[in-house]
Amino acid sequence: MPNEEIPENQAAHRFKKRGFSFESAIRYFFASNAGLTIVILTLIIVFLLKEGLGFFPGYRRELEVYRIAGLEFVDISRKNLTDHEQLTSVLNRAYYAEINGKCGRELLRSQEANALFNAYTDQTSSTRDLVLNNTQAGENKESKILAALGTNFAKQKAKALKSLPATPHLSDRERHDLIESIRIRSLESTEDPALVTALAEEFSNAQQKQAESLIGMRATIDAFDAAGAELSMLVSEMTEMVTATKEKIQDADILEKDRKTLLAAASSAKDAVEREKLTAEALASLADKPDVEGPIKKLLERRPQCSDAHRALQKSVEPLAAQLPESLSQPEASRLLSAARQTFPVFITNLEKTLPAIRDWNDKAPVELTAAIGSFLTGKDWVTGGEWQDFYGILPLAAGSLMISIVALVLAIPSGIGAAVYVNQFASNREQSLIKPVIEFIQAIPSVVLGFIGILVFGSVLRDLSTWDSLSWIPGFPIEERLNIFTAGCLLALMSIPTIFSLAEDALNNVPSAYAEASEALGASRVQTTFRVIIPAAFSGILAAVLLGFGRVIGETMVVLLVAGNRIKIPDFTSGLGSFLQPSHTLTGIIAQELGEVPLGSVHYRALFVVGILLFAVVLTINATAHRFVNKMKR
Amino acid sequence: MDTAIEIKNLTFAYSGKQVLHDVTLDIPVRQVTAFIGPSGCGKSTLLRCFNRINDRIPNAKVTGGSIYVHGIDINRRDIDLQELRRRIGMVFQKYNPFPKSIYENVAFSLRLSGLTKRTQLDEIVENALQSAALWDEVKDRLHSSAFGLSGGQQQRLCIARAIANQPEILLMDEPCAALDPLATLKIEELIYELKKQYTIVIVTHNMAQATRCSDRTAFMYLGKLIEYGPTMQIFETPKEPQTEAYVTGTFG
Ligand SMILES: Nc1ncnc2c1ncn2[C@@H]1O[C@H](COP(=O)(O)OP(=O)(O)OP(=O)(O)O)[C@@H](O)[C@H]1O
Ligand SMILES: [Mg+2]
Repeated sequence: MPNEEIPENQAAHRFKKRGFSFESAIRYFFASNAGLTIVILTLIIVFLLKEGLGFFPGYRRELEVYRIAGLEFVDISRKNLTDHEQLTSVLNRAYYAEINGKCGRELLRSQEANALFNAYTDQTSSTRDLVLNNTQAGENKESKILAALGTNFAKQKAKALKSLPATPHLSDRERHDLIESIRIRSLESTEDPALVTALAEEFSNAQQKQAESLIGMRATIDAFDAAGAELSMLVSEMTEMVTATKEKIQDADILEKDRKTLLAAASSAKDAVEREKLTAEALASLADKPDVEGPIKKLLERRPQCSDAHRALQKSVEPLAAQLPESLSQPEASRLLSAARQTFPVFITNLEKTLPAIRDWNDKAPVELTAAIGSFLTGKDWVTGGEWQDFYGILPLAAGSLMISIVALVLAIPSGIGAAVYVNQFASNREQSLIKPVIEFIQAIPSVVLGFIGILVFGSVLRDLSTWDSLSWIPGFPIEERLNIFTAGCLLALMSIPTIFSLAEDALNNVPSAYAEASEALGASRVQTTFRVIIPAAFSGILAAVLLGFGRVIGETMVVLLVAGNRIKIPDFTSGLGSFLQPSHTLTGIIAQELGEVPLGSVHYRALFVVGILLFAVVLTINATAHRFVNKMKR
Repeated sequence: MDTAIEIKNLTFAYSGKQVLHDVTLDIPVRQVTAFIGPSGCGKSTLLRCFNRINDRIPNAKVTGGSIYVHGIDINRRDIDLQELRRRIGMVFQKYNPFPKSIYENVAFSLRLSGLTKRTQLDEIVENALQSAALWDEVKDRLHSSAFGLSGGQQQRLCIARAIANQPEILLMDEPCAALDPLATLKIEELIYELKKQYTIVIVTHNMAQATRCSDRTAFMYLGKLIEYGPTMQIFETPKEPQTEAYVTGTFG
């Protein structure tokens, strides 16, 4: 600084700064606040990285154990076994869908009679139990209590008989008889009414009759199922062998870790005696290196047997494909059947491909760190806390997050931007002062509240709606799960509409009115001005609004945790748009759900941190891009 | 002499506050008419009545009198505003090209009327830019942003934009207010050229400019038309003392 060279005699000049002023105090106060924020942010990032990055070496070791203990080898065969089971189940579902579909009328009749009787018992069972319990307890039958309970029951019964569900497939006569038989039914009777039994029988007769024409299919399915027995046996035997090895290795790993901690403590211990003691302890706990070679050799002795089982399976199922019926009469059944027919050849080629995999599998192949990273980023399984093997693949979570965001944005972008354009360009003052606060009010709803509204109202209504016959053309209807990607997406759309709306409205507002004036002076109508001048001029701001809405959606936790259904599985894309109606889990949800339960410092714990880092990076990128757009607009 | 715009006893108010009082004047065809007067006297307001762009301002309205453009009362209910504004172009005090390319700025009004044929568009855009004396400066960068031009160029672009769909009348509200003397000169030359085809009404604070390029001049004060006549007469032999004070700079 030049000041320092000023000679002493000039130091006391007229404009000399005097001490520590109030103004600089204020300045330092704000500066320290800003500084604190930066320090805290840095600490958070450092903490995240420190906890998270340990994940990859840890996961690498887990994958290594997975290999050297032989679990990986067993999984080669197990995968085929699972495929086989799944295919069996699809075939069975097709079979029953066909039969039940063909006996649709009988099924409905039986169900309706059942539903009617159940509605009655549901409403009366508690009062009935009271009467029965008191009678059994040896109470005097004439007692007042019992009489009161009796009347109570009679009342309840009369009430129940008045509010019975509709039975469109029963004739009036049948319904009347059924109700009558319930009316005269004795209190103690536990038998179903005659009509209920009769209809159940009618249905099972119909089923049997239909089954006769499908005898060939049944036999094929049974043969297919039976073909897997040998492989199944083998896999479960091998499973026992390898789990034992894995446990031994893990125990040894733990001991080794303890020993290292002791040694570290010893080297930093102050006095010699203490150090001596700790070192001795460490040496004592030196684990015997677990015997890995022996078990793996024994496991690999099964290699030929394994290949044989595969060949046998392939040989026995290959001819079965041709024996399956060409098509079935019921739509659901034929959909399942054609799905099965499509997977059949894939299954068989997979069996073939397995043979070289079994032959070439090598327990000595090294597991690199990149393999752990790759398995994390592209792994299709997120399996934790299982007895077999944990996998941390984020694809199912990322897919869930992404699909929910897509639903949310597809809904929120048009309505948010549309509302913004309307309010900014066309609404009268009164409309403006109504719409704006209402949309912004949505933001005030806590996401938990939104979550339970989602579960109780929206999810249920949607599912009920999806059972309507007239809507069955919509892909994915009827919905199996009340909580799914679509419900979560809808709620998130609701949450992101205010964000998108406000920011887009700001962007439109920031367009200089000179543009609109020039446009109208050139003969443009209001609508033309809006679409040809205002919106293009606000485009980057609107894009930023959408991006920030996306950031909001992908980072949201509570709603997705409550409403997305939390099934960790990549949605089954074969059902097309219907895949949006499947439950799913998300990157945010998994952290919220699992972080509380994982042991501190475990690989699982660290995996959640890495997911967190990933989310952080994604949201950061989105926001940074959005700000770039905003700045571009300010120009 | 044909009349392009005929104003009869016009009064105008913003939210009840009257700013034009009983203005009556005729604007001749294919001549340049200048409005002069101190700030706030209502020049812009009057000008903006001619294409009814004041309709954009809430609560601003004509409270009496009428305006005829080529004989038609433009404050009638059944006036097609878009068509009216296509006939009457406007250039604003602060140049305001759209955030689009130079080409698209000029083609804007053509696209509004549904013209999409490239060859036709190209031709009209070139003609408009030629007329606005801008063509040679921008012909190599028609498709770059209009914001890359200098202020004077941007104002000439706005003029090109306004004349692209061949209006009959061109309104200019202080078109040179934001420009340096050189750019101003260019615009004045341009006005001289455009006069051959268009009826031009120009608001200006620059006395010299009014004498240089206008044929007739109207002097306004506090919302009233004080004096109106050939420019020479207004500046050399004004009848009203207020006019004399204003043009000689001893006003106030
Ligand atoms: N949008 C508006 N709302 C209310 N009053 C307005 C509005 N625009 C102008 N005025 C008022 O109307 C009067 C005339 O304004 P106008 O803009 O026509 O003046 P001007 O002669 O063009 O002035 P200048 O030379 O400064 O541009 C002024 O008193 C002004 O305050
Ligand atoms: Mg003005």
